[in-house]
Amino acid sequence: MKLIAAFASMVLTAGMIWAQDLPDVSVENMDGETVSIRDVVRGKPAVISFWGVTCKPCITELNALNEVMEEWLEDVDFDIIAVSVDDSRFSSRARSMAQGYDWQFKCVFDKNQDLKRAMNVSLTPQTFIVDASGNIVYSHSGYTPGSEYELYDKLMEISE
Amino acid sequence: MAGLLNTAARPDTASLLQAAARVVSYAAVRLFLAVFLAATASLAMEAREKRNWGTLSGSLESNSIYYMHDAGLDPSSSVNPDDRFGTNNYLKLDYMNGRFSAGLQMEGFLPALQGYDYLVYGNGRKVILGSKYVSWQDDMYGFRVGDIFEQYGNGLIFRSYEDRALGFNNSLEGVHGRFDWKGVHLSAMFGRPRLYLEYAESMVRGADLCLSLSEMTGWDAASLSIEGSYVNRYENLMENELFADLLTTNSLDMYSARANFDWKGLSAKFEYAGKSKDLPDAASREMLTGNAILAELGYSYRRFSVLGTFRRLVNMNTMISLNAAGTGNTLNYLPALTRQHTYMLASLNPYQVNANGEIGGQADVYYSLRSKTTRSKYWNFHVNFSTYYTDASHTGGRSNLLWRDINADVERQWNKRWKTAVLVSIQEWSPSHGMQESTYASNIFVVDNTCKITDKMSVRLELQYLYSANYEKDWMAGLLEFNMAPHWSVTISDMYNHGSSGKHYYNASVSYTRKSTRIQLGYGRVRAGYICSGGVCRWTPAYTGANLTITSSF
Repeated sequence: MKLIAAFASMVLTAGMIWAQDLPDVSVENMDGETVSIRDVVRGKPAVISFWGVTCKPCITELNALNEVMEEWLEDVDFDIIAVSVDDSRFSSRARSMAQGYDWQFKCVFDKNQDLKRAMNVSLTPQTFIVDASGNIVYSHSGYTPGSEYELYDKLMEISE
Repeated sequence: MAGLLNTAARPDTASLLQAAARVVSYAAVRLFLAVFLAATASLAMEAREKRNWGTLSGSLESNSIYYMHDAGLDPSSSVNPDDRFGTNNYLKLDYMNGRFSAGLQMEGFLPALQGYDYLVYGNGRKVILGSKYVSWQDDMYGFRVGDIFEQYGNGLIFRSYEDRALGFNNSLEGVHGRFDWKGVHLSAMFGRPRLYLEYAESMVRGADLCLSLSEMTGWDAASLSIEGSYVNRYENLMENELFADLLTTNSLDMYSARANFDWKGLSAKFEYAGKSKDLPDAASREMLTGNAILAELGYSYRRFSVLGTFRRLVNMNTMISLNAAGTGNTLNYLPALTRQHTYMLASLNPYQVNANGEIGGQADVYYSLRSKTTRSKYWNFHVNFSTYYTDASHTGGRSNLLWRDINADVERQWNKRWKTAVLVSIQEWSPSHGMQESTYASNIFVVDNTCKITDKMSVRLELQYLYSANYEKDWMAGLLEFNMAPHWSVTISDMYNHGSSGKHYYNASVSYTRKSTRIQLGYGRVRAGYICSGGVCRWTPAYTGANLTITSSF
């Protein structure tokens, strides 16, 4: 209980606000290089979607985004970043799957799930939208066909 | 860890080293608290001056089941607890300010859900501080004090991670540091591993070195790295009367050497791991050395990719503590390298890795065929094949088949409104886990159709059939899902074993999602069997009940 009280008092003392920034956590890009997620999303709004090779709704969502991406880009400039949370044992399959499915967006690999923990993703798919400055402006858990239109609305809203 | 398998009292002559380890661990917790409070208070003051408040994020997950009496289930493999209730809950909070971060995770098992090892080994009803940390991460170096999540290479000798679906968390309470400089990555750690709801008596230390030769030499056209790891587990059990005749040392040494190569669409990986003498599982009466080989070769070109993996394991199961048992008592990561199915009938009898004697591999081929005029029409093809045999030295000089399957699935997006997926999976598996030659075969056929009625309203229908002349014989299954995006989803499903038992395993659920909060309420009957996540499985008993799942992140 002392621990809880200590943490609660720390929260109050610091006078924090809820998370708005993308954390500064390293991930691996398609070339196997270690890069900060902040550098990956810099410059324009981005949809960040957490997925895994055994998560069927995640793959359905990414296939849906792959399908509409070109159409949406006519209205709003944005990036899609698929973050695989598969460990290094399954990340090769994730890479292979991304190429085989012809995903036209950036894929990064969070092999030790550091970014997943830092962004408090407990259920995949979880999808975030960050603005051009790296602020998290939207997030959504799970996927049902058609949910992607909410992403489009939000992208349009922040680009105005 | 009282309450684990071996409950004999420890001798009074515990070694100085073990006593020191306990003192160090206790000191580490106190140090964590001191650093945590001092650092956050300091940052809070600094934040007030600079108006940089930092950020707080968190998540909540709650899984609860109300168990009902069901006369239709076999009492020997089902559960119907007296208090009828189980609930696993997790609250995680993280504070981040620049390169500094700190956090904790509270866990409540009130009591733990049926089928989780927590229930057996963790007393079932507990609220604990599951993890805590303070971290500073710079570009060149980083430190973390508290609970550590880390993986060396492919995890053959070490992986600490959390998987709530399995009730698994073997994070290391201790200290972790890393150093990165021009293609050199060095990290080291020291601590005691979490074992269910307590910490183990063992201490684990390790180091990992990665040299990116391509980065060091400025070779941009390709990526080449060599890596090596060392892990030591120390547990003072030689003076314990239960282990006095079994152990020749309290120390276990493990090492791994790796090489990775990427060039254009070609990728290759190789890892060799070895371990010194150890008891491979809780029932072992002899210390054995172990080794493993993992090799992977992949190639991709445009919309085509192929990936092949080979793995050989000999006595590689490594326990956190020799004085404990169960799925959660695992220091390394040896998942089943087969296709992880999501359809009900295809995942009825998943492959269980044979960590102490297995040889085999798998291959995946992906290909996508796209319309040149519209992205709403495409074909996705995937074929997977895997086969695993026992190590002959473990099965009387003969290598028996453990598992073989071939899976082919095709996904066709006809237009913006309609998508069809078809799966054929032929599985052959050993009911004796390779101890005998005889095998069972299952042939599974799935058709999955999704139809969008409007942009945000859709219906999905799965029809599945399993044909088998063995074990439980034939099954059929169906699932109907109605979605109103982005908030509502209603699902009903049934698996029917019409080949032998005549039992139905029905389920109905409704979920509501608003932003990053999801609430799901369901009712159904669950079959006894293995639940797998990431290639690692836990056994669940059969039960009938109502379940409520809440997940939220903020």
